Amino acid sequence: MSFWEYVGNRHAQLLTDTFQHASAVFQCMVLATVLGVLLGVATYRSEWAGNLATATTATILTVPSLALIGLLVPIVGLGVAPTVIALTLYGLLPVVRNAVVGLRGVDPALIDAAKGIGMSRTARLVRVELPLAWPPILTGIRVSTQMLMGIAAIAAYASGPGLGNEIFRGISSLGSANALNQVLSGTLGIVVLALLFDAAYIVLGRLTISRGIRA
Amino acid sequence: MPDTTASGAGIALENLSKLYPGNPTPAVDNVSMDIKPGETVILVGPSGCGKSTTLKMINRLIEPTSGRIMIGDEDVTGIDPVRLRRKVGYAIQSSGLFPHMTVAQNIALVPKMIGWPKARVSSRVEEMLDLVGLDPREFHGRYPRQLSGGQQQRVGVARALAADPPVLLMDEPFGAVDPITRDHLQDELIRLQHELRKTIVFVTHDFDEAIKLGDRIAVLRERSHIAQFDTPEAILTNPADDFVSGFVGAGAALKRLNLTRVRDVGVVDFPTASMDDPLQSIFDLLRSGATNEILLLDRHRRPYKWLRRGDLMRAKGSLARAGTLVHDTVTRDATLRDALEAVLTDNAGRVAVTGRRGEYIGVVDMETLMNNVHELLEEDRLDAVEHRHALEEQRARQTRLAQEGVDPAGGAHGVKA
Amino acid sequence: MSPRDRRRPPKGERPPGEHEVRGVTFRDEAAAGERGPVLAAEPAPAAPAASVTRPPRRITWKKAVTLPAVLAAVLLATWLWFRGARLDSIAHQAVDDGKVWLALRQHLQLTAVSTFFVLIIAIPLGIALTRARLRRAAPFAVAVANLGQAVPALGLLVLLVIWLGIGAEAAVIGMVLYAVLPVLANTVAGLKAIDPTLTEAARGIGMSAPGVLAKVELPLAVPLILAGVRNALVLNVGTATLATFGGGGGLGDLISAGIITQRMPVLVLGSVLTVVLALLVDWLASLVELLLRPRGLEVGES
Repeated sequence: MSFWEYVGNRHAQLLTDTFQHASAVFQCMVLATVLGVLLGVATYRSEWAGNLATATTATILTVPSLALIGLLVPIVGLGVAPTVIALTLYGLLPVVRNAVVGLRGVDPALIDAAKGIGMSRTARLVRVELPLAWPPILTGIRVSTQMLMGIAAIAAYASGPGLGNEIFRGISSLGSANALNQVLSGTLGIVVLALLFDAAYIVLGRLTISRGIRA
Repeated sequence: MPDTTASGAGIALENLSKLYPGNPTPAVDNVSMDIKPGETVILVGPSGCGKSTTLKMINRLIEPTSGRIMIGDEDVTGIDPVRLRRKVGYAIQSSGLFPHMTVAQNIALVPKMIGWPKARVSSRVEEMLDLVGLDPREFHGRYPRQLSGGQQQRVGVARALAADPPVLLMDEPFGAVDPITRDHLQDELIRLQHELRKTIVFVTHDFDEAIKLGDRIAVLRERSHIAQFDTPEAILTNPADDFVSGFVGAGAALKRLNLTRVRDVGVVDFPTASMDDPLQSIFDLLRSGATNEILLLDRHRRPYKWLRRGDLMRAKGSLARAGTLVHDTVTRDATLRDALEAVLTDNAGRVAVTGRRGEYIGVVDMETLMNNVHELLEEDRLDAVEHRHALEEQRARQTRLAQEGVDPAGGAHGVKA
Repeated sequence: MSPRDRRRPPKGERPPGEHEVRGVTFRDEAAAGERGPVLAAEPAPAAPAASVTRPPRRITWKKAVTLPAVLAAVLLATWLWFRGARLDSIAHQAVDDGKVWLALRQHLQLTAVSTFFVLIIAIPLGIALTRARLRRAAPFAVAVANLGQAVPALGLLVLLVIWLGIGAEAAVIGMVLYAVLPVLANTVAGLKAIDPTLTEAARGIGMSAPGVLAKVELPLAVPLILAGVRNALVLNVGTATLATFGGGGGLGDLISAGIITQRMPVLVLGSVLTVVLALLVDWLASLVELLLRPRGLEVGES
């Protein structure tokens, strides 16, 4: 059976896996973005806290994904839970780091101007600092998403959802005729998803980054 | 034309001090100052003398360690700083415009925050752009990075004035633009202040700028101690001590020229002709006129060429080749120094005075300038004598106060000649 | 936070913030999985430019001891817990006969061998791509490198296993392919970031092209190259866990055995060992990074 025949035969299964993969990554990414930006906002003003947040999330990222999932399984069991937790944790670092760097990078003269024209602290954050820090944060989200695409595949080993299942099916039938097709469809599916997400982020950047600060 | 009613509010600083933790000497030490409504006061001094700190204490970007700030009749030392700042315009170096907002959004910020209705905000934005000399249709939707430094600075001033605050604080606003643009911006500010009569506190380290813009100048030394607080004329002709005279620098007589504007001396009429006039009528004008020179205006009535009798003959009747081009013009707000400069560069013995759109208004000639300067210097000399007398009295009183143990610092120098 | 950030952009050139934006974008694109320069236990390098008050950037006593101490404690606790846990025959089968040591050794071998190849491939390639003749190919190569990051490591590894057969070889090749990208990108970025006036000056005083490379460019690019190497090491420790799916051994064997047989002690043992190894390797790499970084570049380099 050629690769395209395989894809044709199994398109329903493949589509479900692809959708679940995308949806898992997307949802975890939303979670990671919210948490990451909140962490960044909470810590960027303090040298110490900001660095601690970055260092902590960096340490999490140093942990190999299979090992983290291995540690999560005894606690939360197999399935969706370890996948979501692992993906969210891994997604944090780039967002947190870029949020901290981006928020700290806002020109102090602008903060001064914002204060000077009578903006409250919240208004300053929402109307000046976050919009200006948004481009690096979005870059962080892009980097995170790309990484999560690959990690989500590994999470399938702990019975997580997504295209990783396709790859693991191939592994368990190594040597059979279909192994290559299964692994290839899973891998290519993830590559395509990663590129689609990246394109979506470019569009999102166009829509959400003010023309005044776009590179 | 200037109306005498000031829309500004007076400011009083009473014994303001700023002490940073871990630093035994205060950054600002016991400053007192009275600023009248509608007055432009310049804080000038060497870098690090605390002039910016003093300014930032007025809108409490820096909280004073001790002392009191009054704006109008209100003690603002304890009120919510956010509420205070919405009533006080603030313009800073390099404009401080938010790069992610358009020009219009930047200007609309404060009016929106204090809850003006939408229609009023948008008409106000147009009005402000117009006020600072930017075409609303053209600049409305632009982003700050699409503007030149001078234009950004104008927008910065427009934003500071948008909610019509009685007080405007300016922290070296023209420090980052090139000298020519700075000159224009200063002229604009003078014109604006003529129309608006805000109370302006302006920080600069450039004494020439201080002379040009200030109704009164406070020369500050370290820790914001006031070395002299007086009119530019008085400081130029009668520096209180060596520190001030050192700061005034050489050429006080020339700097004096900065204190008078073209509008204050005689702008006289001059025979003009338009480029579109028939050649014959220009000929006639030259032949019959009282002077042997006329000013040729272009289609928009802007000065174009100086044309002498005989120029046309030499150019064989071609208007395009005859005469000398006008290189430099001045506005009515220009200083006599600018006017003198223009007279010297244009080599016509006179300079054309133009209005807001560059249209011809009249001319100022060398003779008028010389006479005026002469008069001014003579007046100053008389003032100086009086002033010295007053100062001596003042010092005597200070010594007496000091002997009695009362703090003599602060507004004491503010007595005018 | 630092004098660097407080710097104002020149008038009318670019809006504030954009500089930082570019910087971040560049770093992240270049090293997508970059682990960041810091561990929780070493806050000193995390303050890139605390200018005057900043401690000298050498290994401090605290930095040298904290992380290993924490890791030792974790290992001890795991060992005590593992001894106390009741193991049935299946679990015993997974850990007996020195299987744990074997897995650890395999893991280290995989990491070391693949990192070695990564270095001898990526750094010369990066240098070549910044030479005049190949410079135009560099953006293309970096784009390919970035695109390559979209390929999941797991998929790549298993495809190689199908192609080359089960065993450690396929795993090593996969790991090399995967880690070459960030090191290459960092090398190119590091060499490209060098102020052209410096290389001009070097040529001006009569240095030959190899001389300029060896005496000026490489020393200046060392920090970024080292960051790339550290990044590759950490990536490789992680990717090596996936070798188990292609019969390549390593600590992944313990983890997968634990998951398949549902034996939590085995799973936890494998996971903890992997985590400790990854953190230890990153810590060692950070020490090496500090030791090898030219002293003159310490301030202003993050």
